[in-house]
Amino acid sequence: MTARKRTSSAVTNPENPPPATKEHKPTVASGEDFRLAPPKLGVIFVISSLLCSLYLYLLCFHYNVDDELKRPILINAGLSLVGFFVTLKLIPVAARYVLRRNMFGFDINKRGTPQGEVKVPESLGIVVGIVFLIVAIIFQFFNFTEDSLWLVEYNAALASICFMILLGFVDDVLDVPWRVKLLLPSFATLPLLMAYAGHTTIVIPKPLVSYVGLKILDLGRIYKLYMALLAVFCTNSINIHAGLNGLEIGQTVVIAAAILIHNVMQIGASVDSELRQAHAFSIYLTQPLMATSLAMLAFNWYPSAVFVGDTYTVFAGMTMAVVGILGHFSETLLIFFLPQVLNFLLSLPQLAGIVKCPRHRLPKFDPATGLLTGTKDGTLVNVYLRIFGRKSEKSLCIHLLVFQALACAFCFLLRHFLAGWYK
Amino acid sequence: MAARKRPSPTSISTKPDTSDQKTTRNTPDNNVFHLSPPKLGSIFVISTLLCSLHLYLLCFHYTVDAELKRSVLINAALSLVGFFVTLKMIPVAARYVLRRNMFGFDINKRGTPQGEVKVPESLGIVVGVVFLIVAIIFQYFNFTEDSNWLVEYNAALASICFMILLGFVDDVLDVPWRVKLVLPSFATLPLLMAYAGHTTIVIPKPLVSYVGLEVLDLGRIYKLYMGLLAVFCTNSINIHAGLNGLEIGQTVVTAAAILIHNVMQIGSSTDPEYHQAHAFSIYLTQPLMATSLALLAFNWYPSSVFVGDTYTVFAGMTMAVVGILGHFSETLLIFFLPQVLNFLLSLPQLAGIVKCPRHRLPRFDPATGLLTGTKDGTLVNVYLRLFGPKSEKSLCIHLLVFQALACAFCFLLRHFLAGWYK
Repeated sequence: MTARKRTSSAVTNPENPPPATKEHKPTVASGEDFRLAPPKLGVIFVISSLLCSLYLYLLCFHYNVDDELKRPILINAGLSLVGFFVTLKLIPVAARYVLRRNMFGFDINKRGTPQGEVKVPESLGIVVGIVFLIVAIIFQFFNFTEDSLWLVEYNAALASICFMILLGFVDDVLDVPWRVKLLLPSFATLPLLMAYAGHTTIVIPKPLVSYVGLKILDLGRIYKLYMALLAVFCTNSINIHAGLNGLEIGQTVVIAAAILIHNVMQIGASVDSELRQAHAFSIYLTQPLMATSLAMLAFNWYPSAVFVGDTYTVFAGMTMAVVGILGHFSETLLIFFLPQVLNFLLSLPQLAGIVKCPRHRLPKFDPATGLLTGTKDGTLVNVYLRIFGRKSEKSLCIHLLVFQALACAFCFLLRHFLAGWYK
Repeated sequence: MAARKRPSPTSISTKPDTSDQKTTRNTPDNNVFHLSPPKLGSIFVISTLLCSLHLYLLCFHYTVDAELKRSVLINAALSLVGFFVTLKMIPVAARYVLRRNMFGFDINKRGTPQGEVKVPESLGIVVGVVFLIVAIIFQYFNFTEDSNWLVEYNAALASICFMILLGFVDDVLDVPWRVKLVLPSFATLPLLMAYAGHTTIVIPKPLVSYVGLEVLDLGRIYKLYMGLLAVFCTNSINIHAGLNGLEIGQTVVTAAAILIHNVMQIGSSTDPEYHQAHAFSIYLTQPLMATSLALLAFNWYPSSVFVGDTYTVFAGMTMAVVGILGHFSETLLIFFLPQVLNFLLSLPQLAGIVKCPRHRLPRFDPATGLLTGTKDGTLVNVYLRLFGPKSEKSLCIHLLVFQALACAFCFLLRHFLAGWYK
């Protein structure tokens, strides 16, 4: 849930009268001379280095990756870099158009300060989505595999992600009821489910084999149901672990980095060519996701100059679900999503209606100190604040992203120690 | 171009919904918005006219392979479900769309009470989403193991989905027209990448002696041609618009012609690859037809919803896709004869040689209720100048009959040139 106060259409008067006593507005909120705050490229450079360096090192130096596989990966990385710059260039342009159509929100976590009066353009996720699609489509041209199974899965993935972006943008524009919002990802997953030709078996953990009686269990159609539920979970869980500047994109790029590292490790440590293809597939979609997201983060990082909208969160969630499914590492993906799972469990009482659920479940902002205090709402953001005390929005976001990274690191440790024991 | 006066965001608060006691169709208060009931009678007539020949040819006239016929009929049934779902969803979506101030005023009714009604825009999004769901689900029923088919089908879905996305973004954000021109080329990319068919064209027999070849391999230029075809189809429907029901009307007439052509080709050929190509076209055109007819129930004169660029680009792209993957793009272009004419007539204004106003609609006289042709270069205006002032409804019917005649002319042309041409 992008926890921004969405202007109701009834408030269509764009001459939202600013308080007469205010002298200074950070940005001009209306019309043709709207200028977006410049992108925070320094921050992005730091974040990118932190996230991508380990991955690139593993890819190029540590593992001996087959040349034929390394080349498409590097081409994909090159295309993704182009996508980064294109997104960077298009966001200010799109922001103007979006504002003109009154698609904006007010930053609730700055209410009471001058910045709380600024109209922040919403739904800029549409730029990320479109650039991602174009990069992903063009990349097919460079990947000379004749394998038509690969092409089917790739096109089905594109169709699924595209459909999800469409539904996400329709949701941002028309504000569909949340029950419908829950179901949308299942429709978007359909192309993927239809085209999925992989195994539908799961490996029973060794300790349980004696109880179950089988080493491998064929789930058949239930596996496809699991795939659909995974997509529904990934898209919605990112959506509700939100509300701080930069949190939505931040969690996405941290998980994406973990995915890339996992993919490279699997490629480097395996000789099964089908396994390598699966993980390469995941890389081909995650690199563009990473690059375009970082470009948007340049504008969305604290203090946010644009908001991402549901368009972004559902697009990111769906893309990661798609790569998890087609790359055959969905259980690993779920452990990367540990904070999201925690947040979902914490939210369950309110989502189920057992506890009263307000429209926004944000922490309380104190304009005097500039700090956020945790409320009794069941979200990871609030619980973290209640455990560790009040924080500013920026430092809280960084804390939560570090927590995300620790969860991913924990997953790698888990895999390492359970490697022989589990499977 | 959806030639409706789009309200600028700043003018919303100045809308004069005063205490004037005119009985407008819907109250300005959006909470009790009720859409006019769908014109199911007209749709029934139109559907019968368009679909009967296709169904007759499919089921009785030709002996079609049972397995193929079954898939086609399953697809028809799914499309029928899509028809009813679209019919149900449009009033729901119209409420949401109005709430977001996405509406237009009907310029061809300006000066009458109906000209004050806020007509919800961009309802093409409903058609697009239902079409995609029907097309996606259909894969489950088509048990071909052929992965080449699956690649083309998924690439087609990706292309059409991308086009719907870009069309809806255009409707919401109102992108500049130069950008609008090139958008379809991006949406065609999945198709171009996945296209594994031949890139050769057959040289017409009379020209063989001049060219020196019977078959010419165009290679990459064929892919360029495919991209341009998509750009043309999407934009040409967009500019042959402006009357209630014209956009959807031309689409369903052309779609009916496509279906008849597909069935005729399947019936008269024994090449299984050929059968597959035309069946492929049917699998995407039947849902297009069904969902469009459902929208037409609300959009037929007098329109209670507008289709938006979302619909016109979706329809154009779908027809370009089936023409390309079904390998009958030259036939498709002849079905598009009125659109080609309209494009040629519009060229001077589009190129900027002649002054081009924002809307190139005919002039409406509220007193008589008739439209008179202006000097603008569109088929609508030229038709009015040739045949005199007409009411909007009868003009639309005339133009749709013209569309049907153009398609019939194409069939005649193919018949007579069959031996001579190829």
